[in-house]
Amino acid sequence: MGLQAFLATSLVLFALGLYAVIGRRHLIGILIGVELMLNAASLNFMAFGRFVVSDPTTAQIIVLFIIGLAAAEAAIALSIVLAIYRQRRSIDVTDLEQLKG
Amino acid sequence: MNPAEVHPTAFIFVGLTIGGALLSVLLRNILHAVFGLGIALAGIAGLFLYLDSAFLAAMQVLIYVGGISVAMVFAVMMAHTLGRRELLVGRRLLAAIPALGLTFTLALVVLSSRFVGSTGVRPDEATVLRSIGKQLLTEFNVAFEALSVVLLLAIIGAIVVAKERKH
Repeated sequence: MGLQAFLATSLVLFALGLYAVIGRRHLIGILIGVELMLNAASLNFMAFGRFVVSDPTTAQIIVLFIIGLAAAEAAIALSIVLAIYRQRRSIDVTDLEQLKG
Repeated sequence: MNPAEVHPTAFIFVGLTIGGALLSVLLRNILHAVFGLGIALAGIAGLFLYLDSAFLAAMQVLIYVGGISVAMVFAVMMAHTLGRRELLVGRRLLAAIPALGLTFTLALVVLSSRFVGSTGVRPDEATVLRSIGKQLLTEFNVAFEALSVVLLLAIIGAIVVAKERKH
C-alpha cells in the first residue's frame, strides 16, 4: 500500500466531510463533517511525510497543530451549539435565518 | 521492507476509516453518526501507526476519540433533539455534486502526478520524536505559543458562551 492509496483514502474522507457540511441540517452533523475534513488533511501530511520527504518531523508537527486547533474548534462549536439550543430550542440550521433579508 | 510501501494489512484500517466516515455522514440519528465518527477517527489512528508514528496515533486516540467524540456525545445529549425530524436536506443532490466533482478532479490530479520518493536513510521513530520536541521549542516556537494562547481563549470562550444566563 503506497502513497497514492493513502491520498485516495484522504480524498474520500474529504469528500464525505464536504458532503456532510453542505447536506446536513443538524449543527453537530456539520461539525462532524468539519472534523472529517481536518482528518483528511492530517492523513495527507502524514502520508507525504512518510513517503516523499526524508525527515518526517515537520509533517508530524503540523499534524499536532491540526489536532490542537481541532480541539479548540470543537470546544467552541459545541458551546455555540448549546447556546443556540438554549435560546431557540432547535439546532437545525434552517431555523437560524433571522439575519436573512 | 520496501520503503515505498506499507504492509497491505493497512487496508483493514482504510476500510474502518471510510466505513466509519460513511456511517457518520449517512446515518439519520445524530448520536449514531457521532459513533461512526469515532470509528473513523480510530481507523485514522491505525493508519498513523502504519505511517511510522505511534506518538501521533496515541495523540489521535487521546484527543479525538477520547476527547472530541465524547464531547460531541455530551452536546447531543444536552441539546436533546435526537431524531426530531429528518436530518438531511431534501436537496442532497446539491451537496453530492460538489463532493463528487471534487473527488473526480483531485483523483485525476493524484493519478496523473508522479511523486519522487525519498531516497535518504529514514530516521527511526525515537529520533523523530526527539526532534519534534526540539523543533517545537525552537523553529516552531511562535506557532506553538500562539496555539497555547488559542486553546486557553477557546476554553474561556466556551465557558462564557455556554454559561446559563440568569435573568
